[in-house]
Amino acid sequence: MSQPEITAAGAAASARRPRRATGATRLTRRRRRAGLVLSLPALVLVVLLLGVPIAQAVYYSMTIWNGITATWVGPSAYLTTFTDPIFWRVLENNALLLLAIPFALGIPLAIAALLHEHVRGWRFFRSVYFLPTAISWVVIGMFALRFFSATGVLNSLLSHLGFGSSATDMLAGETSALAALAITFIWSMVGTNTIIFLTGMATLDPTLIEAARVDGLSRRQIFFRVTLPLLTRFIQFAFVMTVISAFSALFSLIFVMTGGGPGFGTTTLEFFVYQVGFQQVQFGTGALYGIILFVIMAIVGLVQLRLIKPSDGEGW
Amino acid sequence: MAAPSLTPERRAATRQGPGRWSPRRLRRKTGTWGLFALMLLVAVVMLYPFWYIIDNAFRSGTQFDRQSGHSLGGWRELFANLPVAGQMLNSTLVCVAAIAIILLVSTTSGFAFAKLRYRGSGIVFLLVVSALMVPLQSIIIPEYINLAKLNLTSSYLGAILVYAALGTPFATFLMATYYRGISDELIEAAIIDGLGYERTFVQIALPLSLPAIATITVLQFIQIWDDLLVGLLFLPPGQRTITAGLATLSAGRTTSIPALMAGSLISAVPAIVVYLIFQRHLVKGLTLGMGK
Repeated sequence: MSQPEITAAGAAASARRPRRATGATRLTRRRRRAGLVLSLPALVLVVLLLGVPIAQAVYYSMTIWNGITATWVGPSAYLTTFTDPIFWRVLENNALLLLAIPFALGIPLAIAALLHEHVRGWRFFRSVYFLPTAISWVVIGMFALRFFSATGVLNSLLSHLGFGSSATDMLAGETSALAALAITFIWSMVGTNTIIFLTGMATLDPTLIEAARVDGLSRRQIFFRVTLPLLTRFIQFAFVMTVISAFSALFSLIFVMTGGGPGFGTTTLEFFVYQVGFQQVQFGTGALYGIILFVIMAIVGLVQLRLIKPSDGEGW
Repeated sequence: MAAPSLTPERRAATRQGPGRWSPRRLRRKTGTWGLFALMLLVAVVMLYPFWYIIDNAFRSGTQFDRQSGHSLGGWRELFANLPVAGQMLNSTLVCVAAIAIILLVSTTSGFAFAKLRYRGSGIVFLLVVSALMVPLQSIIIPEYINLAKLNLTSSYLGAILVYAALGTPFATFLMATYYRGISDELIEAAIIDGLGYERTFVQIALPLSLPAIATITVLQFIQIWDDLLVGLLFLPPGQRTITAGLATLSAGRTTSIPALMAGSLISAVPAIVVYLIFQRHLVKGLTLGMGK
């Protein structure tokens, strides 16, 4: 990707100074050296702190390691994991969390459509909806803990509405705790995804909407037949970001809300890495779960590259 | 996004449209009010947790149980159980140092990848940016072992380095995208005028990229300030960030709810302030991930 432009720039430089033809090449050489030197710190930082550990994690994943002695077991460590019912239980939680994705996309899409009507005060509302993005998952979890508890906000709200005093602690049951986690997750994603969709809607050509209106389409028809298809790229982007968040950003929320319980009810793969690695000090198995998480994320990432950058000429 | 495209059309409609109380206008008006009510409802759902936290932060344990009366009981308990000031300072220190490193390496490398290409720079760029896909949990065990071996987990340094490394890929991507927008002629002219590449970067490119730098700073500040996992594992208990400190306090399950709400409130304030001031930069950063 770089070659043609470098020669073009070099040619331009030499055209400007025709008498010193060698100057251009010397300049090019110096530029390349400067580029190498300036890009080195980022490369070193990323390779040492992100690249090397991935390789190490692959190695560790094939050992049994209690923090003191490491025993090599080889790739069969993966086979052992794949026959472990707890591993599948944890992965099931991850899969169930994916059920939250349609809501985490659909609700923000509706909100963005509302805001895009530019009703009086929409800027203020936009700021309000986006506010939770600045809040840590820890604080959000802290509130959610009180919200879903037996004496919490949700139960008092339900009894006020006449649903009787069921007073169930949602965080006490395995399925309901996961549901509570998913609802909190959806709430937290509203701001980010709304902004993505709103940005997308701002790029739409208003004359297209106007034309559809003149053609007699209703607001709803315009939304589903004109706006939505044009937003595909943004929806794909939000989808990938939401999946990544669901799989690798919920640690703090789980830590504060449930600690992974009850049982393994809310233990997702990322939390399992922490539990196995740092609470049970099984570094080898923890690293193995980390590698599986990485493989899943890499697949999602590759799908993203495929979806988002199909026409990017830069080559990456 | 800033200029609402409908406004002129609306203004025209009020001036020369159908009569003030025509059925069509009435329908439109009720529709508008319906939308407004709906937006208000969503706002309540989004703001309620904040109200709950503020309301209950100013109670004592018994006042919380009765849900009536306000006092500073929760705050007193919080300050007795958590070194709030110290941990806020720890958070600030870790944030500032990590962001400084991120800005240093992402501006220089972004400039190099955009304007000072060399053989293989495309691959190096790909290498740095693809690290974006590495979830922290996948590398956290070897990372912890490495840094502990180097004795870096007994000070701020380990956490700062991890945060810096985690923030670098996206920041580099953003800076490279930004510098690509600066014309090659401008850079060439500066070189021919006798500025070296390094000085061209510092004196020409860097000032031009202040908006991108602001975006990275805001995005990273909120991310690092709000993070739990790194703060929990890579900092010694005495040097914990406020977010990690609060989470550990909550996990203890012995602190009263008003104290935890007070802690939530005070830990959230810096990030909210930064958000309110630099909202636009944050929005830009979130959507810039899409490329152009």
